[in-house]
Amino acid sequence: MSSDYEFSDDDNEFFDDEDMFDATQDDGSSDEMDMDADGDDFKITPKNKRKSYEIEYHSLSQSEVEKQMREEVNYICNILGVEPSTASLLLRSMSWNRERLIEKYMDNPSTVLTAAGITLPEPPSSPLQNPIRTHAASGSSSSSTVRRTTRSASKLLGLGSSSKSSPTTRTSPIVQHTTPKYTKFTTKPDEPFVCPICFDDAPNLVTLSLDCGQTFCINCWNMYIVSKIRDEGEIAIRCMAEGCQLIAPDPFIHDVLFPTPPADASAMSVNPQDNAQAWSRFQELLARHFVGSKKDLKYCPYPGCTNTVSCPAGASKFSLTTVVPTVFCGARGIPGQENSDSSLGLGGREHKFCFGCAVEDDHRPVVCSVAKMWLRKCRDDSETANWIKSNTKECSNCQSTIEKNGGCNHMTCKKCKHEFCWVCMGPWSEHGTAWYTCNRYDEKAGVEARDAQSRSRASLERYLHYYNRWANHEQSAKLSRDLYAKTEKKMEDMQITSSLTWIEVQFMKKAVEEVEKCRMTLKWTYAMAYYLARGNEKDLFEDNQRDLEKAVEDLSELLESPIEAEVIPSLRQKVTDKAVYVQKRNEIVLEDTANGFLEGRWRWNVTVEGFDEPDKSELVL
Amino acid sequence: MDARLRRVNKEIADCKNDKTSNIQIDLVDESPFHLKGSFPGPEGTPYEGGRFEVDIVIPESYPFQPVKMKFITKVYHPNISSASGAICLDILKDAWSPVLTLKSTLISLQSLLCSPEPNDPQDAEVAKHYTTSKASFEETARYWTQVYAGGPGQRKGKNPSKGSVHDDIAIAGLERVHVERFENLGFDRNKVIDVLRRLNYRGSNVAQITDDRVVEELLK
Repeated sequence: MSSDYEFSDDDNEFFDDEDMFDATQDDGSSDEMDMDADGDDFKITPKNKRKSYEIEYHSLSQSEVEKQMREEVNYICNILGVEPSTASLLLRSMSWNRERLIEKYMDNPSTVLTAAGITLPEPPSSPLQNPIRTHAASGSSSSSTVRRTTRSASKLLGLGSSSKSSPTTRTSPIVQHTTPKYTKFTTKPDEPFVCPICFDDAPNLVTLSLDCGQTFCINCWNMYIVSKIRDEGEIAIRCMAEGCQLIAPDPFIHDVLFPTPPADASAMSVNPQDNAQAWSRFQELLARHFVGSKKDLKYCPYPGCTNTVSCPAGASKFSLTTVVPTVFCGARGIPGQENSDSSLGLGGREHKFCFGCAVEDDHRPVVCSVAKMWLRKCRDDSETANWIKSNTKECSNCQSTIEKNGGCNHMTCKKCKHEFCWVCMGPWSEHGTAWYTCNRYDEKAGVEARDAQSRSRASLERYLHYYNRWANHEQSAKLSRDLYAKTEKKMEDMQITSSLTWIEVQFMKKAVEEVEKCRMTLKWTYAMAYYLARGNEKDLFEDNQRDLEKAVEDLSELLESPIEAEVIPSLRQKVTDKAVYVQKRNEIVLEDTANGFLEGRWRWNVTVEGFDEPDKSELVL
Repeated sequence: MDARLRRVNKEIADCKNDKTSNIQIDLVDESPFHLKGSFPGPEGTPYEGGRFEVDIVIPESYPFQPVKMKFITKVYHPNISSASGAICLDILKDAWSPVLTLKSTLISLQSLLCSPEPNDPQDAEVAKHYTTSKASFEETARYWTQVYAGGPGQRKGKNPSKGSVHDDIAIAGLERVHVERFENLGFDRNKVIDVLRRLNYRGSNVAQITDDRVVEELLK
């Protein structure tokens, strides 16, 4: 492809701009036709109109998510007049619901600040003259001195911390957390400082404390923070003192992990590499918390992937009854593993997932709630119970389950020796003289009882019909993938031994991908058909399903035909044609089903969450 | 020096020097990270007079992660597993703080013995016993203290002869008459004890559990 492109470019240098533009465009699209005769084009050409079975979304990298977070933080900074790290803690404590935060904060700032772990609880008598500033000024000075007397460690620094921290907070509350006020060197104290955690008493010990004034050495802070982030995945890192509810703001954590001046490596128990790792993990956890709090954002569920998808159209519960929000995060493969985009193996797959549920990454065309219902039905093994229902009865005396093994209706329970009639379930003794003919129910009731029994059997068979096809498509998709792995090798060998070019042996991959995609569609159409109410709409649906299935099976068969060098050109032609046809059929199924959801055309034979109740006549079972 | 080692050594030394709290910490083997703590049962409780031993394992990231503790001595208490000695206490989990020490944690365990939390139980059967009849629970707890923690009592903990028969019933916190009544129906004594304990056949509950129900369970 690249050589083609270059050639045409050179050619076009002789034409004027307009011609060149046209020519390259033509070139580009014909290239695509040759290369990507498959359904991938909807990703490559975003200019195309969105199809009705696709949903509008865009993917975000972690840095883009962080940018959004910063915007929200700045918004809060401007409105509440607090500095960024405080705004960030406030937002986190309110699950990033800024409207609720503003409302609550305006109502009672000190409660909100205390709940967010920014200030210590105030003594009840303290007057609230200037609510916005209280947290910075009176919060840290008044209540911390109260606590200080009760703490064993505090007596050592009572003087140093109050004289050093209160003036800074009082004069400029806005820069409170950005100045490195946490980092305090114990400058000529009256008594030597002993860290209450590690009992280190070195004279040059760097010590830090949060606003509560409870001081510990930087090594302990460091190990504590790293352990909280790395081992517990915690973003709200509390003060190390027992029962203290203050949460370390981000600049504090940064100061601890990246101390200035750089700590003496030999004195540090945690190495700088661990610190850097902990910091980036912390950033990731923050982004995850933000994404987790937002309804229209979802983290890519693939291992190691840090992308996020924003899909407002798939965020509401109601929208999930009209669309199947299948999205791609934009990444492929598993980070850190070497793989090429073209690889068919799991390693190179696109990160595709459903925005609405965690049931399966792509369950188009069927909506989340129905897909979930179907899987639950398959998993619950509820059909075992159904079998028992249609083949057995419970002893009316001891409730043991009994399978009738003879023709006689005179049953004797093996366990409790209770004798009863299989037809009416009443005790046998009451049958009196009417031995062997149960006339306790009139004829109509007898017919109904038989009907109920046969209905139950029919429903079992119906379920198995759909289940077997559902499971079979999944299995087939897997098998065709395995088959391709073998074929691919053979084809590449052939390219070396014969005159075939690389491009000529590449048609199989696209076809296999197409087959796999369509089998996934087919698989889920069976789940959908199982729940669709009988009628014209279902007939049309099943017609489309049948056409797709036939096309897929044909293509599948072609893919399994023997590969010989001489037949390859004609095979290639056939496979390519068929693949295009299959793709069309798949589009039709997806498009028609999606339109049906938008129009509210589908009726179910069971109650489905979010849809109208089915009519009595449509109900099955 | 390794900060963890320095801290643990200091904690052990502090405990040795402190004679007032009567809390003891000993090495189990050479490693200072596997210890055995012990403390007296608090006064005015069924645990009074006993001495309770606790298995202590210091994790790699101590003191930033909580120390792992469980009772070696069997204790009859709603928040302590009567089988494994596992402890349900917030400071050993998410409420842990690095400023807490082995000594302060052992003191917390001591005060846990004073104030059981039957609403957040580790051992559901013991908790049920506690809520059904506190007097009967305390009697059993006292008996366990006697037998396992070397507590005072008329009878010494390890009394052979006739005592062992009585022991099983008292250890399960049941009434001798109840057990014997079902035993006389021809059921094995151990089975009767097991079923009655499971059904919480104590105090006011006795009136609510019919004999049929007990027999049904015994037949299972």
